[in-house]
Amino acid sequence: MTSQLPQSSVPNGLSIPDTVPIIEARSLCKSYDEGRVEALRGVDITIAAGEFVAISGPSGSGKSTLLQLIGGLDSPTSGQVLFRNSPLGAGRASTSASTPAIDLDTYRAQHVGFVFQGFYLIPTLRAIENVQVPMLASGSNSRDRARRAEALLVEMGLESRIGHYPNELSGGERQRVAIARALANDPSILLADEPTGNLDSVNSARILEMLIGLQKRRGMTLIVVTHENEIAEAAPRHIRIRDGRVESSQVETGRTESGAGL
Amino acid sequence: MPLQLSLAWFAWRNLGRRRLRTFLTLCGIGMAIGAFVALVGFSRSFEHEWMRIYESSGIDIAVVQKTFLNTSVDESTGAKLTALPDVAQASPMILNMMDLTPEVNAIAYGWPAKSFEFSSLTFKSGRKFRDGQPELILGDLLASSLGKKVGDTLDIQGSSFTITGIYHGGSALEAGAAIFPLDQLQQISSLQGKVTAFHVRLKPAPRNQSPHEYMQAAQAEIESALPGLRAVPASERASNNQLVLLAHAAAWGTSSIALIIGILGIANTMAMSVFERTREIGILRALGWKSWRVLLLIQMEAVALGFAGGILGIGFGWAALRLLSTLPQTASIVSADFSPLLLLEALGVAILAGLLAGAIPAWRGAHLSPVEALRHD
Repeated sequence: MTSQLPQSSVPNGLSIPDTVPIIEARSLCKSYDEGRVEALRGVDITIAAGEFVAISGPSGSGKSTLLQLIGGLDSPTSGQVLFRNSPLGAGRASTSASTPAIDLDTYRAQHVGFVFQGFYLIPTLRAIENVQVPMLASGSNSRDRARRAEALLVEMGLESRIGHYPNELSGGERQRVAIARALANDPSILLADEPTGNLDSVNSARILEMLIGLQKRRGMTLIVVTHENEIAEAAPRHIRIRDGRVESSQVETGRTESGAGL
Repeated sequence: MPLQLSLAWFAWRNLGRRRLRTFLTLCGIGMAIGAFVALVGFSRSFEHEWMRIYESSGIDIAVVQKTFLNTSVDESTGAKLTALPDVAQASPMILNMMDLTPEVNAIAYGWPAKSFEFSSLTFKSGRKFRDGQPELILGDLLASSLGKKVGDTLDIQGSSFTITGIYHGGSALEAGAAIFPLDQLQQISSLQGKVTAFHVRLKPAPRNQSPHEYMQAAQAEIESALPGLRAVPASERASNNQLVLLAHAAAWGTSSIALIIGILGIANTMAMSVFERTREIGILRALGWKSWRVLLLIQMEAVALGFAGGILGIGFGWAALRLLSTLPQTASIVSADFSPLLLLEALGVAILAGLLAGAIPAWRGAHLSPVEALRHD
């Protein structure tokens, strides 16, 4: 059962005052084509550490753009994304002297893991090598990288697929390799853009179950952009985006205390 | 131990993605480096053979006019030259290129029978010629390519010359040459009383002078006694004469064109590769790779292409030099010796070619916006 938050009380978004936020979006705007296309029009969102949030909306509503800005893949036209109170993007104004801005590459390498609808594995690398790709940016030694990649693939139930190339794996297996890759640098935030969009119902259910399990076991923040009701309903918090604005934010009754702390 | 991934291995695997394209690119840069090795090797070999002529016959100084192949030094100058205190011996000589047969063009020398330069030759058969007689001697390489032996004759410009000896020279340039009596070559070339140069042996250097100082003093002495002529040290004559300079210029010019084509080949391959992998580069950026790491990956691929092409090219160049050293048309000016310095230079040039070719595609790939790259189809 879910409850609809009144828009008047929390204008254009949701605030979570009683927990330390891991992500804050402040008046986030993003436009393309010299301002002719406005993908986001002043979005305010606060996400607490360890939350599982689903973001949904019609095509072109701006949900993927929001995920890209939260993930540091792009910079907003105006507004700010804060990670643990530090603004994202070199050169951005810091909120205080003690919280310098975070370089986007560093942020993506150390704090964020991405899972995409199209898996996007490197076709010339084996599963275990694909999982090591993000770790090449982290400076750990090659033996440790390989051991960690192996452990992650085992955690994903892919111990028999470690040496396989992506074209030798099923869609579900590829997405599990992609999830292992997203976890390679032990991120605090896992961002998934339509993670089950290319999968059948059996594999979709399995991937969803895996993501939720990871979020609970690791205490990660999980943000999933989806148009599938099953995922949106599985998330304790569900944000709907329409025309670049937060249309509504629903928190599942009885579960808000552990997640968003509303 | 599970499979370990390194940046170099990643680059290598990327090159294996389009094997035919990679192979063809390797062939392209390989041919370019092969041309570099063969042509530059050829010109250096040519220079080296010149040097061996001077070294083997003990020439210290060549007295010449300013133009290398200008046979206009007066033969009578020899008397003044030998009278100089530092000069031990001075031998007049003519250097020319001559069609010995309709098919074979060779270097022709004119020496007096008493020239000290005979000391560098070893006679394999026969004897040296006599002044004033229509005789000549042949280098063993030239004799072999002409199919001639002692006692045979050669008809040159309406005169019949008897081959009196076959010699082995200290240099491929001598081994592939014909040597005439000076007066005979002057006669058939209409150069009576003129020579190309005087080759000079100096007396031993005094104890109170270094060889370099002695050489400079001897040069000054000769040039002062013979106004209008230059006294050139043998080493400079070998490396700085117009034929060698022309060979170097032709080699570097042609190699440069081949290298530019090779570089464009790698650049095209890398540009195509970066374009095809645009979304993949977006993934790498999304996974936290900084621009410089993407740039490094692409440059490693380009350098690997250059390096592998360089190895292939050295093989091509070596084969070409071996072939040139056996062909009658070129055997007299090319030896099959392969300098380690040339190998290092070829590899250096190949790696530099890879770096240059990869620069623009790598920069473009490294500066792709992650979001734009991820949207790429």
